[in-house]
Amino acid sequence: MTEDDHLPDEAGTEHLDEMSGLLYIERQLERVRAQEISAHVQDCAACRTLLRALERESRLLTRAMLEEEEALPARLAQFHERARRSMQWIWTVAFGLAATGVYALYTTYIEPWQDQLDKAGFGGSNLLSLLIFQGALWKGWQSMITLLEVLALLTVAGFALIFFRRRVRRGSALAIMLAGFCAALGLQPASAFASEMRKADSVVVERDETVKTDLFLMGEHIRVDGTVDGDVYVFGHDVSVNGRVKGDIIGFAQQLQVNGQVDGNVRAFTNTLTIRGTVARNVLTFDQTVNLESNGKIAGSLTIFVESLNLDGEVGRDILSMAKHININGKVNGAIQSRGEALTIGSSAEVHGPIQYKGDKPPDVSPRAKLVSPVDYQKLEHKPHYMEGHYYVWQVIWLAAFVLFGLVLFQLMPQFTKDAVANVERYGASFGLGVLVFFGIPIAAIIACVTVVGLFVGISTFFIWYAALYYAQLVVGAMVGEWLMGRSNETWPLIGRMIVGIVLVRLATVLPIAGGWIKFGVMVWGLGAISLALYNRFQPSIAGTPSAPYTPPMPPNTTVGGMQPA
Amino acid sequence: MSAPGKTEPAEAIARARTGDADAWGELYREYAPALFRFCRRALPTKEDAEDATMDIFAKLMRDNRLLQYDQNRSFSAWLYKVAANHCWDTLRRRKTRQDKETEDLENVPLEHPDPNQLDKLIEQRTSEEVRHALSKVGSRARMALVMRYYSDMSYDEIADALGVRRAFVGVVLLRARHELRNALGQSGALAAGGTS
Repeated sequence: MTEDDHLPDEAGTEHLDEMSGLLYIERQLERVRAQEISAHVQDCAACRTLLRALERESRLLTRAMLEEEEALPARLAQFHERARRSMQWIWTVAFGLAATGVYALYTTYIEPWQDQLDKAGFGGSNLLSLLIFQGALWKGWQSMITLLEVLALLTVAGFALIFFRRRVRRGSALAIMLAGFCAALGLQPASAFASEMRKADSVVVERDETVKTDLFLMGEHIRVDGTVDGDVYVFGHDVSVNGRVKGDIIGFAQQLQVNGQVDGNVRAFTNTLTIRGTVARNVLTFDQTVNLESNGKIAGSLTIFVESLNLDGEVGRDILSMAKHININGKVNGAIQSRGEALTIGSSAEVHGPIQYKGDKPPDVSPRAKLVSPVDYQKLEHKPHYMEGHYYVWQVIWLAAFVLFGLVLFQLMPQFTKDAVANVERYGASFGLGVLVFFGIPIAAIIACVTVVGLFVGISTFFIWYAALYYAQLVVGAMVGEWLMGRSNETWPLIGRMIVGIVLVRLATVLPIAGGWIKFGVMVWGLGAISLALYNRFQPSIAGTPSAPYTPPMPPNTTVGGMQPA
Repeated sequence: MSAPGKTEPAEAIARARTGDADAWGELYREYAPALFRFCRRALPTKEDAEDATMDIFAKLMRDNRLLQYDQNRSFSAWLYKVAANHCWDTLRRRKTRQDKETEDLENVPLEHPDPNQLDKLIEQRTSEEVRHALSKVGSRARMALVMRYYSDMSYDEIADALGVRRAFVGVVLLRARHELRNALGQSGALAAGGTS
C-alpha cells in the first residue's frame, strides 16, 4: 500500500492509488504527504475525479445510513417500561434473598442465644422482645409505641419513599428516608419521655428526692440515694445506688454498687459490680469481678461474662456464665450453665437446678453443699481444630457457602463488585480504610445500641458489617483470581476468577498460626476496598462541568483538492 | 442521535448513574431510536437489531455502566462505541459458529477502480440501494462502514472495536467499499479498469 502510492498510467503519469486517496479525504495522512497529494491533484484530473468519487461515496454512505426508513419497532418502544418492571422483579428477588439471609442468620446465631437466654431465666420471651420490648437498652417502647403507631410510621415512610424517589436520586432518597426514619425513632421516645441529665464531678440524687423520669448521670462519683421512677443510665467511676430505681439500670462504671432496690433489670459494663440490694428482674453484665453478697438478691436470672464471680446471695432463676473462676456459696433457684477454668461450690451453697460445667479443672464441690444433682462436668479440650477430621469437612462446606454467597452478590451487584475488586489494588487506601472500618463500625454499632440512636440501627449496622467481612474475602479472592487468570470486566468470567481466588484465600486462611493473621489481613483489605467503592459510589456524579455540545454524526469533512491538515 | 446542536442531557445522565429509573427512561427515549438505527445497519436482520438495542440498554442499566462514561466526552459517541462493541461481539460469535469470513487483511491485494466509472456508479445509486447492498456485505466490512460513516468513529476507535491494528483500518474500510460496490452490481466493470 505504501510503496506504490503513485501508479503510472499508459502515458507514464503517476496517479494516486485509491488507498492514499481514501486516507487523504479522511485526513489520516501526515501533513507532508497530504500536501504532496494536494499539489498533485491540482494538475491531475483523473486523481481529482477519484477523490471526488470517494468523497461522494462517503456522503452517500452516511446519507443512506442516517435516513430513517423505518419507525422504532413497538417492541423497543415498550422495552423500557418492561425493563423497569423486570427491575422491580429483580428487587423483589433481592429483598427475598436478603430476608432469607436474615432468617438464616437468625436461626444460626440468634436462636441458639435465645435458647441459652431462655435457659438462663429470661424465660418466655425471645431475644428481640427481651431487648426491644422489655426495654433493656431501648427505653420504653412497650408503653409508648403501639402497633398502630408503628404501622402508621411505616406507611408514612413508604409514601415518602415513593414521593422522593420520583424527585431525587435514588441513593439520596434512600439516605434521606433512612435518616428520617432513624430520626423519627430516635426523637419519638425523647419527646414521649422527657429525660433528665445530670453531669458533674459528684452527682447525687438525694435521699428525699424523687425523680419521675429517666435519668442520665455522668460524673466521677455518682450516688443515687433517692427514688427514680424511670430508667437510670450511669457513666462514672464510682457509682452506688442506695435508693430505689423503678426502671432499669444501665451502667458503665469502674465500680458499680447496687445497695438499694431495682425494680427492673441491671445491664452493666464495669470493672467490679457488687450487689448488696435487690434486683427484681435480670442481671446481664460484662465485668472483671461480680460480687453478689450475702444480703444481695437477684429475682430473675444472671448472665455474666466475667473473670470471677463470687456468689454469696440468692439468684431466683438460672445462671449462664462465661467466667474464669466461680465461687458459689449462696442460693441458686434455677440451673447453672458455666464455662471457664474453675468452679468452686462451697458448703453453704444451695442449687435447685442441674449444673453443667465445662472447664479446665474438675469442679471443687463441698460435700455439704445442697445440690439436686451432681455437677455434669466436661473437660475442655484444647486440641487444635485442624487436628480434627470434621474441621476439614466444615472447611469444604464453608468454601461452598462462600462460592454460593459470592455468586449471589456478584449477580446482584455486578458493577459495585467490579468497583470493589478494582479498589483492592489501591493497597494503601484499602488497608488504611479497612482498619478504620473493621474496628470503627462495631464500636459505632455498640454506641448506637446503648444510646438513643437505637438498637435497631445498631444491630442492623453490626449485621451489615459482619456480612461485609465475608464479602471482603470474596472481593480479595476475585482479585487473586484476576492476578492468576488475567483481567476481566465481564460478570461471569469475574465470578470464575472469584471462585479460583476464594479457594486459594480460604486455603491460606486455614494454615496453622499464620492462617488467622492472613484471614484478618484479607478481611481488612477487602473491607477497605468495599468501603472505597462505596465512597466512590456516593460521590457527586456531576462535577459541575458543562456538557459538551452534541455533534451529530456527519460525513468526513473533505474538500477535494484543498489543503488537508494532518 | 438527537437534534443537531442540542446539548446532551447531562442532568439525566447524572441521575441515571445513581440508578434513577426515570432518568433511564429519558435517556432511552432520547437515544434508543439512533441506537436502533446503528444496530440495524450493523447487524443482518431487524430482529437482531431490536435484540441488540435492548441488550445494550439492559446491560447499561443492570451493570450501571454509565459509571465508566467520562463526562468530558460526547455521550452519544460513547454510546455508539458501546453499541459497536456489542454488535461486533454478536457478529464475531456468530461468525465463529458459522466459520465464515476468514480473510487475512494484510495479504489480500486491493483492486483499483477506474475513477470515472466509480464516480458514475456513485452518482447513479440511491440511498435505498446502498442500504440494500450494505446488508449483503460481510460483517466486518459492514461494521467498519457503519462505525465510520454512521457514527463518525475515529480510526483508533474502529481499530479498538474490531481488534485490528490502526494502520489497517484504512484497508478494512477500503475493502468494505469494494465489497459494497460489488454488492451494488458493478464489481466487474470497476475492478477491471484499475487506476491506470
